Amino acid sequence: MTVRRRTADDKRCGLPEAAGLVADGDVVAIGGGLSHREPMALVRELIRQGRRDLHVVGSAHGIDVDQLIGAEAIGVVEQSYVGFEQDFGLAPAYRRAAGQGAVQLRESCCYTILQQLRAAEYGLPFIPVRGIIGSDVLHLHPEYSEITCPFTGQRLIAVPPLAPDVALIHGLLADQHGNVHVRRPLVLDERFAFASRRVVVTVERLASSQEVSAAGVTIPYFLVDAVVEAPYGAHPTSCYPHYTYDREHIAAWIAAAAGDEGIREYFETYLAPDECHYRDQIGEAALARLRTFDESPERWQELMA
Amino acid sequence: MNPRFTLDEWMCVELARTIGDGEIVFHGFGSPCAQVAMHVAKRTHAPHMVLIEGATYALDPVPAFLPPTSNDWSLLTGAPHVLRFEELFDLGARGDLDRMFLSGGQIDPYGNTNVSMIGPRDRPKVKLGGGGGGCNLSATVGALTIWTTRHGSGRTLVQRCDFITDMGHRTPAGSRTELGFPGGGPEAMITDLGAFDFPEGRARLTRLYPDVDVEAVRGATGFELEVADRVQTMTPPTEAELRTVREVDPTGVRRSEFGSADLARAYTLHGEVAVA
Repeated sequence: MTVRRRTADDKRCGLPEAAGLVADGDVVAIGGGLSHREPMALVRELIRQGRRDLHVVGSAHGIDVDQLIGAEAIGVVEQSYVGFEQDFGLAPAYRRAAGQGAVQLRESCCYTILQQLRAAEYGLPFIPVRGIIGSDVLHLHPEYSEITCPFTGQRLIAVPPLAPDVALIHGLLADQHGNVHVRRPLVLDERFAFASRRVVVTVERLASSQEVSAAGVTIPYFLVDAVVEAPYGAHPTSCYPHYTYDREHIAAWIAAAAGDEGIREYFETYLAPDECHYRDQIGEAALARLRTFDESPERWQELMA
Repeated sequence: MNPRFTLDEWMCVELARTIGDGEIVFHGFGSPCAQVAMHVAKRTHAPHMVLIEGATYALDPVPAFLPPTSNDWSLLTGAPHVLRFEELFDLGARGDLDRMFLSGGQIDPYGNTNVSMIGPRDRPKVKLGGGGGGCNLSATVGALTIWTTRHGSGRTLVQRCDFITDMGHRTPAGSRTELGFPGGGPEAMITDLGAFDFPEGRARLTRLYPDVDVEAVRGATGFELEVADRVQTMTPPTEAELRTVREVDPTGVRRSEFGSADLARAYTLHGEVAVA
């Protein structure tokens, strides 16, 4: 397929075409974090398309990485965390794949990843970070190197630049040129957008340039290769101020991911052929319920129980 | 207010008491006891503390409840500002975070913690979630408060971690001084059995809950237990501290860190064991 130029006037496309910008074996930066604003429509499309050997990088994540591992789409995990916190605990597909040696574990640290992205942004061959020495995380990364500061003699770890092949980001609004509006917490989304070779964006809604500009441009158009309108594109993670995370659905994934059979059934039920089917399977009422969080603190609390 | 209270409430209060007024404090994600403790400290003895939420990086929010996940907009409620990811970690790197909280599936006598994996590195028996920002922050943050709710399991406090994620006072690679870490390392450790300090960079038992004795701690600890000359009984929560724990965490998210037997451990405000 033809890769869209970053200066194209119109970067709108369909989800299959956008996910086509991710190749087998790519280093992939997934936006959002934990249970917040992860680009799940793109994750699902990568699974539909049977992507393999992805090398995922980033900070603390959850169902996005666990589902990709469950679909055998990932070869290397270089995240600072993959799991479901106190909520549901360990990530079942990740834990199983790690125990079988089915994924390479290159666990990293939030600040290390950030500094590696910055090295790429700054155009530097390395950046020094403190810490890591004494941690076994060092032994998972032969690409790191201990150096001595030429001015102070301090021991530091030099880490190489990280320029992911592709960043996947879910935002709130975008115009046809690829100007994207996102709201805090941005996690690493801006850094991913600036450091990556390709940037693929889904948004809750496409809008006019005036509307995106008024809301505030978080990621400027010249960094972006493709934009796709994907309502509920972060589901079952949250996408405020529109909807909270779908705790019940995440619980359903946790239960399904206890075994290979459950994972197969989950994907059969929810994935094929497209996002319309996915939303139908979740159900209009269930989705609408997630939008009621702002009725009152009590309501919000109820949705989290 | 029910004056009978349980271990989870007491532990959160003990953790809160490790925070000084005016400190800049951060808890990691997935750390409900530390999160409750920070909000309790802010609303009781440490009103000038700068509270930075664990995954939203919201400043001093006043949430109506704590959600079971750390990156949620409910944790932005009442916050005057939300820091960027970059700003939080830069604060930590340059030594301007005074304290953070760390836990682990394994913790050794020097306060090294393992949140990465149990068993061999190529095929771990249990792949834990991972360290988040710990293996950088533990080098540079002013002081660390360590906690675990699983000391009683006998599997958590170990002579040697299978994998060191976050660095304590000494690792096989050397001491903090030798490694050039500007941060002070572990200062306190609060567990479901008692409280520890680190006078020589090694954990030392100083205080106990009233339903635990030194022998029970020794039996649950995988390394040679160092004990202070006078081990004291912990001071129970004040009414105000207890009320604040319940206000901060009305749904009891903190309880997800505990096993059912420990959740049944109950006390009175006089520090006596309460009979069920």
